[in-house]
Amino acid sequence: MGYLTFRERMTIPTYNDPEACRVGKVVIDHEKCNGCGNCALICPGACLYVAGIGKDRKAYMIERMVPDCMSCNDCAAICRRGAIKAAHGYDFGGFYKVLHRAEMVPPRNF
Amino acid sequence: MMETATEEKRRRDVSFGEMYTWHEGMEWNPVERVILERRSVRRYKEEQVPEKLVRRVLEAGRFAPSAGNSQPWKFIVIRDPGMLEEMEKYVRLRCRLLKFLLDWESSPLGRLSWFLSQVYIRLMPNELHPIPFGAIRLIADGKLRLFHGAPTVILVLMDRRGVSKPQVDVGICGQNMVLAAHSLGLGTCWVGFVELFKFGTKWKRKLGIKWPYRLMEGIALGYPVGEPDGMVARELHEIDWWEDGRKRAVF
Repeated sequence: MGYLTFRERMTIPTYNDPEACRVGKVVIDHEKCNGCGNCALICPGACLYVAGIGKDRKAYMIERMVPDCMSCNDCAAICRRGAIKAAHGYDFGGFYKVLHRAEMVPPRNF
Repeated sequence: MMETATEEKRRRDVSFGEMYTWHEGMEWNPVERVILERRSVRRYKEEQVPEKLVRRVLEAGRFAPSAGNSQPWKFIVIRDPGMLEEMEKYVRLRCRLLKFLLDWESSPLGRLSWFLSQVYIRLMPNELHPIPFGAIRLIADGKLRLFHGAPTVILVLMDRRGVSKPQVDVGICGQNMVLAAHSLGLGTCWVGFVELFKFGTKWKRKLGIKWPYRLMEGIALGYPVGEPDGMVARELHEIDWWEDGRKRAVF
């Protein structure tokens, strides 16, 4: 019984352990991205950057073990070309295990 | 072809649903649009918000519902750039201290900081959730600004003597203001890190925060750079739906 086991409840995950935590992640479509850098400017987790010159100027996600991405999708909202969006939400596991969620879906007008 | 921001906005503006009625699959009405398109804005223009506009936003907060009509809130509006900068600096110093004590990756304390962090995360699981923990690091490193450069900040205080659950009332009141601000063309961002002003007497004294008031949240207010508002995807949440004597899961 119970959706959060006692063991999980008592476990504080190691925040920088990729085995224990699934951190937020964005996917960037480099075909559409023109490197304007708006997403990198507003990212609250400072986990996006722009690199390259001219036509090769594109946005990238930092390659730290644990980026501070919280899948807020602010980058998706500011991108006029629809080149970036969150792939999945974060789940740090253990005490912070995310409960009762499913895939990411835009607002539905029932 | 790429639409310009204004063109896109105009296109959005023509397709509103009707207010105070519903039929299946109808367009979003203006209120729904504001709710669904509101995003936290973290990049502001330097241009100050007109005083009357801030007053109008505060009116939306004044008419929020509260338990027993207790209205357990008080607002502090700060529009002084020098003061905001000083507050930002104060929080950055506090974050540096926290990073020094708790961030086991970079702290010179080594194993001791690991031990401290494990104790403090268990004592304050909400405040030291991995996300704010990362934000502490970012603020300490100067990569994230407390109020994101907003020219106006509304601090929301709670009267501890409010009816029933004053924390909830303060949240409702703040969200009223945030939605009103977005509908008026402003950008907003909730700033929970004002929490750190409570761990010292300097700002509490300067802002005159004393019992029964408690500093709850800050709301950054200003004109956004670019067009950060828009609808995005979010996780579905499982809903328990009881009907006809049984339960089913609805997403």
